[in-house]
Amino acid sequence: MILLQIDLLTISAAALLIATFAVVVRRGFLDWLSGYRYQALVLAGVTAVIGYITGTWEIYVAAILTLAIKAVIIPKVLLRVTKGLSGQLSDFNPYVSVRSSIIISAILVILAYALVQEMFANSRLDSVARAYLPVALSLFFIGLFVMVSRRIALNQIIGLLIIENGLFLFTVSLTHGLPLLIEVGIFADILAGIIISGILLSRISQTFDSLDVGKIEQLRDD
Amino acid sequence: MILAADYSILFQTIILVFSSGLANSLIFGRSTVARIASFAPAIAGSLLLVIFAVLVSISGSKVQISDPFVATIPALAINLYVDGMAAFFMLILGLVTFAVSIYSIGYSQQYSGKNSTRSFGFLFNLFVLSMLLVIASNSIYSFLIFWELMSLASFFLVIYDHQKELNIKSGLTYIVMTHIGTAFILASFLVFYIQTSSFSFDSFREQAPSIPQYVRDISFVLAFIGFGAKSGLVPLHIWLPQAHPSAPSNISSLMSAVMIKVAIYGLVRTTLDFGAPMTPDSAWWGVLLASGGAVSCIIGVLYAAIEKDIKKALAYSSIENAGIILLGLGMSVLFQSYSLLGLAALALLASMFHSLNHALFKSLLFMGAGAVVFRTHTKKMDQLGGLIKYMPWTALLFLIGALSISGLPPFNGFVSEWLVLQTLLSSYQLPNLALQVTISVVSVVFALTMGLALATFIRIFGITFLARPRSEAAHQAKEAPKSMIVGMSITASICVAFGIFPFIATSLVSASFGFDKQQHFLSLQTLSPFAVLGVPTSSGALTSSSMSAGTVALMMGCVGAFCAGLLFVASGRKTARKVYSTWDCGFGQLNERMQYTASSLSQPLRVVFKILYKPHNEAEVSYFTDSNRYLKKSAKVETHTRDVFNEGFYQPVVKATTLVLDTVRKMQTGKINAYLLYIMIALVAMLVLAEVTR
Amino acid sequence: MVEPTAVSLQLQIIGVVQTLGLIGIAPLITGIMRKVKARTQKRIGASIIQPYYDLAKLLKKDEVVSDQSSWIFRSAPWIMLISTITAALFVPSFLPFSPFNAAGDILVVIGLFALVRFFTMLAGIDVASAFGGLGASREMMISAIVEPALFLTIFVVSLSLGGTNLTSIASSAANQFASGVIIMPSMIFAVIAFFVIMLAETGRIPFDNPATHLELTMVHEAMVLEYSGKSLAMVQFSQSIKQVILLSLFVNFFVPVGMLTPAIGLSAASTASTALSFLAKAMLVSALVAFAETRVAKWRLFRIPDLLAVAIASSMMGVVFFYFWR
Repeated sequence: MILLQIDLLTISAAALLIATFAVVVRRGFLDWLSGYRYQALVLAGVTAVIGYITGTWEIYVAAILTLAIKAVIIPKVLLRVTKGLSGQLSDFNPYVSVRSSIIISAILVILAYALVQEMFANSRLDSVARAYLPVALSLFFIGLFVMVSRRIALNQIIGLLIIENGLFLFTVSLTHGLPLLIEVGIFADILAGIIISGILLSRISQTFDSLDVGKIEQLRDD
Repeated sequence: MILAADYSILFQTIILVFSSGLANSLIFGRSTVARIASFAPAIAGSLLLVIFAVLVSISGSKVQISDPFVATIPALAINLYVDGMAAFFMLILGLVTFAVSIYSIGYSQQYSGKNSTRSFGFLFNLFVLSMLLVIASNSIYSFLIFWELMSLASFFLVIYDHQKELNIKSGLTYIVMTHIGTAFILASFLVFYIQTSSFSFDSFREQAPSIPQYVRDISFVLAFIGFGAKSGLVPLHIWLPQAHPSAPSNISSLMSAVMIKVAIYGLVRTTLDFGAPMTPDSAWWGVLLASGGAVSCIIGVLYAAIEKDIKKALAYSSIENAGIILLGLGMSVLFQSYSLLGLAALALLASMFHSLNHALFKSLLFMGAGAVVFRTHTKKMDQLGGLIKYMPWTALLFLIGALSISGLPPFNGFVSEWLVLQTLLSSYQLPNLALQVTISVVSVVFALTMGLALATFIRIFGITFLARPRSEAAHQAKEAPKSMIVGMSITASICVAFGIFPFIATSLVSASFGFDKQQHFLSLQTLSPFAVLGVPTSSGALTSSSMSAGTVALMMGCVGAFCAGLLFVASGRKTARKVYSTWDCGFGQLNERMQYTASSLSQPLRVVFKILYKPHNEAEVSYFTDSNRYLKKSAKVETHTRDVFNEGFYQPVVKATTLVLDTVRKMQTGKINAYLLYIMIALVAMLVLAEVTR
Repeated sequence: MVEPTAVSLQLQIIGVVQTLGLIGIAPLITGIMRKVKARTQKRIGASIIQPYYDLAKLLKKDEVVSDQSSWIFRSAPWIMLISTITAALFVPSFLPFSPFNAAGDILVVIGLFALVRFFTMLAGIDVASAFGGLGASREMMISAIVEPALFLTIFVVSLSLGGTNLTSIASSAANQFASGVIIMPSMIFAVIAFFVIMLAETGRIPFDNPATHLELTMVHEAMVLEYSGKSLAMVQFSQSIKQVILLSLFVNFFVPVGMLTPAIGLSAASTASTALSFLAKAMLVSALVAFAETRVAKWRLFRIPDLLAVAIASSMMGVVFFYFWR
């Protein structure tokens, strides 16, 4: 039974990483969105697994909230926001080419694993934290990298969402469930963040007729 | 039973034979006899050398060679010493020199009447002799003297074709870089000298364990840079693709096949012999060697893949192979520092077997390229093509070389690359997580290298020998002289033999390097062609990773016979074979300008790895009328690639140096009083300094 | 282990029979792929045994060779066929072992495939047409980048299952499955990478289209365009064999369902069940490949490295997962 448990943990961790790569490898906005949706689904599953192993009911609620908000509502909101935008939604000319960013992301994952190994070398982590902490850190790194390397403003939002997922996983796997009130607060926060960034996006697209963040340079007062 | 004294006599005979080659080339003038007279001693001497080396390594004896002139000039006593390690590298030298000397008889006929054949024979023999003596040296003195002699002889051979401006330039780059390397080697030896206060390698060997680790670290890094520069380690490789192709082709094959190995020998000697015993503290040596090797591999092969000059492409591929050898050596050091002796032996076997193999196939390829240049007078692949019809033997032998270097079964390159891959796969036994992950990344680089090497040699062989001739010169080519074919077929047949019967080479390596009898995982007792090469574990047993090259070759033969028989039966009636022109989409008149060229064949690679090549295309199109841009009169496209190392590293350094020197030059006023002033200042300063430090 | 590995004659015969079976079903697998592809594209498609008819017909036809070509062009089909059949001898397929496994491991199989590629590309260049060069130059780029992905995948597989010998990999995969481990985490990543590599090596759609003769898209077909008659039959047959070898590697590495474990032992019934389950799995996976092929479009040549980068990254993570969970 123990064996099966560990396998469930690692396999779900692997699935989460694969889901994250689905965002990195693709170039179109709708593909990112579906990648993100897939990631949210897996994240909900992972949260449920944590709930199952630790036996805390709050985590199940968090899993359901993840499913509802991240897999359904946020993609819906983003779709609606982008409908009225002018300019290209897909990134065909990122700062770092797709194949390099895939390899770099893989290296970031290795780095995350090595870092967690180093950081928690002396502290005794339980199996849940040992499985998910490196994944959480990887999500954080990859999200940052996506934000850095892409041109289209939508991608920065997706990157932010990946980072947020990483942080969520970090807290859940380390603390085995925050009080429900805080969880709900965080989810509300993300929703607000998405709506605000949606407004920001439409302002950018109105001003520059494009979502290319490279154009924002023009705002600098020389 | 052969006594040590007999070995000593044999060795002195070899030296005498080569020296007679030196004398012969000076005595005989410019006739055909002179060509034979200067290369025949080299042939005999190298044959003796092979026998000597094999005997020494099999018997495991250590030969101290007394210097006959020691009484006359005791200060310059030359201390020579041959152990298994040296004997193995002498074997490489002997095998390659044997083939190349035969080849040179035919090859040097193009110089008769043009350049001085006298100096050619002299320098050739001097070059070989100095390499031999470097390997045999047992003290700082003799090592550096012969090392320098080797560099100078090869320098003069590089600029032998001095009518060409480019050769002089590459010769200069070579001499500068090689001296920078020598400076580092000298420094590395001096570190040992300071610790042991002795010039002899014997005392280095004895006192090495008592030398503090940090001193050995410093010495290792200096040796790594010094010998690395000579073996084409990136980014110190800049001279290699210039100098090796500039030399006459027989010299190119000696330089690429043997001189690089002499540098490897120096590195092996300093790390494994003087560096012992290894502790986990010296694990980073292994990481440095392995990662330096991996970088050399990939950079070398990437430039080889796009190079248009056939000899330059081969030179870049030498950088790649030196990288593979260093990678294996690094893995060996790494395993040794964690006391995984079985694996360390495996890695060293891989590295040394690859050294031997590279010497064989690279000399073969350079000789083949030399034969092509000999008949067509061009090194540009875009002007060659179709030579398989005019030079069938050269083509066949070159193909064997290409198959071997690409690491394809059943040729020797495959066996050594198999060993390197197994070494990398065994890295999971290292007790350190960071090392495990690093080596797995290194192995990706190595695998990419193998893939690109395949592409490189398909391109070189395909463009040079297949399809239609691309120029008149290629049309006029005819088969190379017999002696050249014989020279090439010697190395080619050894390539095939080592591919099918690798046990010959592996047992030679393990005998030379004295692998511990307990660690034996190779069939030394049963010298059977079907013996299995395997990977040892810590307990000494084989893991389930094994391969038998002889069996694979036998199976391929059986399958071939079976297929032929089956097709004979199945096809029933005899089918006809009609010769007709190539499919031309119905347009007719296919010509040689419509085929892919060397540049177009590598275009996808240029695009994918554009970070490194920085290719830029210039298109020049003229139209019949400016108003209508659909009707093109003519179009011309030029593509250029750049060497990022030259532009990013060497040019700034050279620029900075010239800038500094220009400032210093202001001191050279031309006034005699100023010079006297400098002398005075120097004198006073020295006196003051002496006073202060007293 | 110093002795030459002696394998009893009986086992050797079993091994040869297994290989004959494998190369016997090779055209069938090709036929199934074509059929599945046709059905998913709402066509009826040819019968699944059509490839056998094609081969038989080609063997009877006269041959045309180019006047520009040399003996390389003429001998290349032989080398392709011999190398792929030799590779097939090392691969356990219907049985969980191959008697020749000590003589050749997975690296030998890959080396033999590389030999096939070498001569295919040379044959493409040899005929002096632009098509051959075009195919060769594209194949060069693809095969050079496939190599690291392939090796790293083997790295993961051999770390997870031990060794590079195919029998030991296959049997430890079967043992693990029998002991209740459905799939090891590191192997999840290896599956993804190997699937991509399988598509690349067999020239399936995002990389190459086996059904086209359009110069914009063809890679492998461009190189063998000049072949006809018996030589073409040999080229096509060796391509089918290569495909079925990769399929059986995939099946035996990653889907060891119904595989014979040493604990059960070799008997007529158990052998038959293993063979049948292998056949079923191979057909299923080939149908999956064909289905995946219809789902995607052919990629632009310079986007292909992106897909191979996915394979490399995926197997890199496989290595990480292996090392950090040991």
